[in-house]
This record gives sequence, structure tokens and C-alpha cells, in this order.
Amino acid sequence: MDFSVIIDNLGYFTWGAYPDGPLGGAALTLLLSLLSGVAAGVLGLAWGIALVVSRGWLRWVLVGVLGFLRAIPVLMLMFWAYFLLPILFHVDVPALATVVCALSLIGGAYLAHGVAAGIGSLPAGQWAAAKALGLRPGQVLRLVILPQALPIMLPSFLNQWVSLIKDTSLAYVIGVGELSYVATQVSNRVMVHPVQIFLFVALVYFLFCSALQWLAHRLARRVPSRSHR
Amino acid sequence: MKKLTALAALSLALLSGIAHADRLEDIKKAGVLRVAAFDSNPPFGFVDAKTHQIEGLDVDYAKAIAAKLGVKLQLQSTNPANRVPLLVSNKVDLVLANFTITPERAQQVNFSTPYFASGQQFIVKKGTLTSQDQLNTWRVGVDKGTTNEGVLREKFPGAKVVAYDDTPFAFTALRNGNVQAITQDGPKLIGLLANVPDRDKYEVPPFTISNDLIGVGLPKGETALTDFVNQTLVELEKDGQAQKIYDTWFGPQTSTPLARLFKIGDKS
Amino acid sequence: MFGELLAPRYLHWLFDGFLLTLGLSLLVCAVATGLGALLYLARTAPARWLSTPARLYVLVIRNTPLLVQLFFWYFGVTALLPEALVTWLNTPRSLALGPVSLDWPSFEFIAGFWGLTLYTTAFIAEELRAGIDSVRQEQRAAGLALGMRPAQVWRHVILPQGLRTALGPLLGQYMNAVKNTSLTMAIGLADLSYASRQVETETFKTFQAFGFATLLYVLSIAVIEAVGQLIQHSRHYRRGVA
Repeated sequence: MDFSVIIDNLGYFTWGAYPDGPLGGAALTLLLSLLSGVAAGVLGLAWGIALVVSRGWLRWVLVGVLGFLRAIPVLMLMFWAYFLLPILFHVDVPALATVVCALSLIGGAYLAHGVAAGIGSLPAGQWAAAKALGLRPGQVLRLVILPQALPIMLPSFLNQWVSLIKDTSLAYVIGVGELSYVATQVSNRVMVHPVQIFLFVALVYFLFCSALQWLAHRLARRVPSRSHR
Repeated sequence: MKKLTALAALSLALLSGIAHADRLEDIKKAGVLRVAAFDSNPPFGFVDAKTHQIEGLDVDYAKAIAAKLGVKLQLQSTNPANRVPLLVSNKVDLVLANFTITPERAQQVNFSTPYFASGQQFIVKKGTLTSQDQLNTWRVGVDKGTTNEGVLREKFPGAKVVAYDDTPFAFTALRNGNVQAITQDGPKLIGLLANVPDRDKYEVPPFTISNDLIGVGLPKGETALTDFVNQTLVELEKDGQAQKIYDTWFGPQTSTPLARLFKIGDKS
Repeated sequence: MFGELLAPRYLHWLFDGFLLTLGLSLLVCAVATGLGALLYLARTAPARWLSTPARLYVLVIRNTPLLVQLFFWYFGVTALLPEALVTWLNTPRSLALGPVSLDWPSFEFIAGFWGLTLYTTAFIAEELRAGIDSVRQEQRAAGLALGMRPAQVWRHVILPQGLRTALGPLLGQYMNAVKNTSLTMAIGLADLSYASRQVETETFKTFQAFGFATLLYVLSIAVIEAVGQLIQHSRHYRRGVA
């Protein structure tokens, strides 16, 4: 099998047209997943804490919104954000921001439940003890609960990040020049080597995701597992 | 809902005092003309292997319009399905992507005067299509978001239509045997075959099932911009630049020679 | 742009796409569950020649995007298949089962089914593994101590508890399968998201077309979620949870 098409286009696959154009290719994939990952982490943390502390109808609204975000296919959310938001609200969102927004909203929704579960897994005594010491609710969260819950949640954050890396490939639909888009562009130009190109692209994603997963695995083993049911 | 939107629009217009800024002014102020062009359809719009920039016939016209305006050109790559959404959602100012003029589309977008004409044709594996009626029983590949799909369904209602994101995908399906023919504008098909190493296995039967006029897509209601683009196109024809652009991509020295039968300003 | 509804013809297209999405999801979930169980067994088998390929399969499939996998199967691998096979796969035929006749699905459906099933199988196998691994070792020891044979321990002690734990995550994977069918539009399968784009192209009613499709997706997921909640709150289920 002739892999010269990969070698010939390696630069394009890695950087896109940069510096003679916007950043693209694998570099853009990494950038998108990094930005989305951080944003999803922040959102997930905020929503997760909100899930734990909110009550009544506010909590139901939150559950509804999170449920919607987890029910909508990523593809559809990208369509909405990119093509429909500008028409509805006259807000122009550039493609990159659209991808980061869509991915972080969905990622955040999944993480929120993980965060809530992580906080919920801590013994109730922690909350009671902290309050008995006279700490305010904000301080309870910041000084007692989160430092214990975060290490438990870290593997799920990293797993979500792995999903995010894969989901950046869907930016292809709105024409963002990340790795999958660039790969189909090259494949469309060269025409006769789809197998080589898609194998190569799969390999690159595989390397990114596996590296993250290995990291998650290492961190999970470091955290003492809580043996309670 | 419609009343509310009308009321909101009216109040916005009143509040702004001046008539709403029109796109031509905005482009000149921003100093950038945003154009959507194809990136996988030689010779209309394709990515050059060395420079990694989008080149092609449509791009040359875009460059000429931007030069006339005195602004920078910013290209946004697109496929047929995303053309109209990009324009309607204000992501681009113009669409120069082999955009066929139809009355339905004209309700959503403005069109310039036509700058290219072509007919819808097919690519088949050599020797497989002996009569047009066969198409009524075949699986035919089309591009999503093109007029070709509608025309195909109309002329050959028995054909099984499979729509792909862009022409090269449809061609790959043809090569793999998933479809027996693909349909697109003739010049696009010729451009495609010229770049394919196994082109001898395919042919473009010499009949067309439609006659299309290609125009520049503009946002609906932007009369100043439309007039400007029309003027530019007419001038390009007059000073011979249009012919030069044509010859660069379809001239006798190229790999896709095609006689130029339509000039800007012709009625059809 | 907001208020006008879609003409019946277009609603029909959307509905056809929805039926295809549902049918594909159902088929994928059913087959992937079965294959996932087999894959789980292979992965936890003591024999290296079974467990290593299984682990590799799971690793590769879970760490590459589904879109790339679908492209690989539909545009890539098809090029490598012998022409006769591709022609056979593309030939329409139908199987008569009494009053109903099943039509041979399109190649796009086959490729989409193949790619989606391979993808979902890997995830289901891992969810099964997580569920069954969560059953404490003591349960197995207790079963053996009571005089049960290993197969009986498996069938009466470990499997019921493991499957109960895995139920939630399994349903999550089924929901993912439904959402993942939206990617098959890139290989030309006329599913719901493809239909919504087609309707949008013809009618330019972007909001209605996408809105309707989104609603259908969310409803399908909501139904699976509701079913899951019903099962998890049923007495039969709750009695079994440790």
C-alpha cells in the first residue's frame, strides 16, 4: 500500500495552511479539544455543584437543561450554533467559537453528573463536621468537599476529554479545518488513496486519545479508592 | 411572531436614525470581503497541493471583485450543502461556488448576472450507459444542496438517489461500485476527471439534462452590493479579463479544454 | 421564517428519516449487545490469544472518532473489496415473510450498520466489564462456599448483580447509539439529520427543519431514559441491588 500521499501532505495534516492561512489539521484538533476541555471542566464543575446544592424548581430546570444537552446529537448542536443562532439572534459566532461552545456545553453536561456523583460519594459527616466548625457554605465547598472530591472525579474528566478529542472531528460538518476536514480535503484532491489517508488520521486520533487515557489510568491508580457502596 | 419581528425591525430602524448600514458599506469599512468557495471542485475551487490555498475560476472572480472594491479577500471553504446557510447566517458576503440560479433560491438570496453556463451531465464507467433510460433503474450519486438532485428526480423518477457531501465523495462511490453514475455540472465533471489517475475507465456521455446559469450569491436585499458585483462582472467581460480567467482554467492549454459558449451579459 | 409549517411532503421526508434512524439504532443496539457480551467474554478469557486481540479491538475502536471509522469503511475499505461482492451488496432484493416483505437495505445502511455496530460493541463490552467487575469478590467466594458450581455462581450470583449495575451505563450507550446514527449522513444514508438538511435545502425553512429533527432526537432519548427509570425503580430491580 502506497503511503507516499501521507508523507507528501504531512505538513498540511499537522498544521493546515498555517502560517499562510489559519491554523488547521492536528494542531487545530488539539487546540479545539484543549479549549473545549477546559471550558467543559469549568462548566461541569459549576453545574455539578449547582446540582448538589440547588433545590426545588431551579434544580428541575437544571436537570432539564442538562438532559437536553445530553440528548441532542453533537452534529445538530453544531448546526444550530453555527447556522441558526446568527439568524435568530443576529449574533455572529465564528466557527471555532461555535465548536468550542457546542463541545463544552455537551461535555459540561456529562461532567456535571460526574461531579455531582463525586461530591455525593463523600460521607455526609464531612459536610456536618465542616458546618459544625463554623465554616460558611462557600468555604465548606472550597476547603473541605472539593479537595476530596476532585481527585475522584479526575479520571472521568480525562475520559470526557478523550470523547472531546473524538468529537472535534464533527467540526467537519461546518467546515472547520481540523484534522478530519483536512484529511477529506486531501482525499478529495488525490482521489485514489482513501484507505491510507483515513488509516493515518485514525492513527493520529488514536495516539492523542490513548495518551490521555494512559494519563487517566495512572491518576486513577494514585487515588485511594473509596470502598463503600 | 411575524408581527413582533416586524415591530422590532421597525423600531430598530427608527432608533438607528440613519437607514440601516448596507453590506457594501460594511465591507468597505471592514476592509475585508468574505467569500465562500469550493475547496474540492477543480477547476472552480480547489486546494492547491503546494501552496495549500484555495484556487480556481470562482476564486479568480472573487479576487477581481475584491480588487475592484479595494479590500482584502478572505476565502471560506464550503461544500454545496453549506453554501446557502453560510450566506443567510451572514458568515460570508458572497458565494462564488458554482451556484446555479433558480427562482426558489432567488427568494432567499440575491443573484448577480450570470458569469458561467453549464448543463447537467453524468459520469459513468466506460461503456456501461448505452441508453438514457437505464438511468431510471440505476443508483445515481448527487451532491447534497445542489439543483442536480431535483432535476434528476424530475427527469428520472425511477433512479435511486444517494446524496453525498461533495462531488469527490460521489465519485469515490462510483469507483467503488456503490452507485452506477454521478451527476453534476458538465464542466465540474470534466475538471474532476482531469485530476483522476484512472480517468480512462470513465466517460461523460454527451448529453445534458438541464441548462444552468451560474451566478454569484449575495445576501437578500443588498441592492448596492448586487449592483456593484454586476457592474464589476460586466467590466471584466469588456476588458477581456473574464476571457483570460476562463482560459486559465478551461482554455486550450489546460487539461480541461472546453469551448466558451457563454459570455457575461448573454441572455442564456 | 418562524411561523410557516413545513408542507406534508417534507414532513414525510423527515418522518422517513426518523424511521430509518430508529430502525438502524434498534438493529445496532440489539446486535452490539450480543457481540458486546461475546467480546467481554473474549476480553476476560484467560487465554492470551483471545484476550489480547479483544483488548486491542476495544482500545482502537474507542480511541478513534466514529466519523473517521465510517469514512474508512464506506469510502476506504469498499475500494479494497472485490467488485463482485460490492455488486452483490448493492443489488436490491427482497425476502418475503408471509404478508411482509423485507427489502435488502442500501449499501449505505449496511456500511452504517457495520461501522456503528463495531463502535457500539466496544463500548458495551466495557460497560459490561465495569458492571460485572463491580460485584465484590466475596460474592463469588460465598457462592462457592455454599456448594454452588462455578457456572451456577456465575448465573445466579454474579451475573444478575453485575447486569443490574451495568443497566444504567448500558442504556447510556444505547442513547449514544441513537445519537451516533446522525453521523451516517456523511456516507449518504438518508437518516433524520440527512433528511433535515435535504428539507432545509429545498424549503429554506432552516428553523423548522432542524427544529423538528432535534425534537425527534430528544424525544427518542427521553423515551429510552424513561424506560431506564421505570426499570430501575421497579420492585424487581430494587430488590436485587446490593
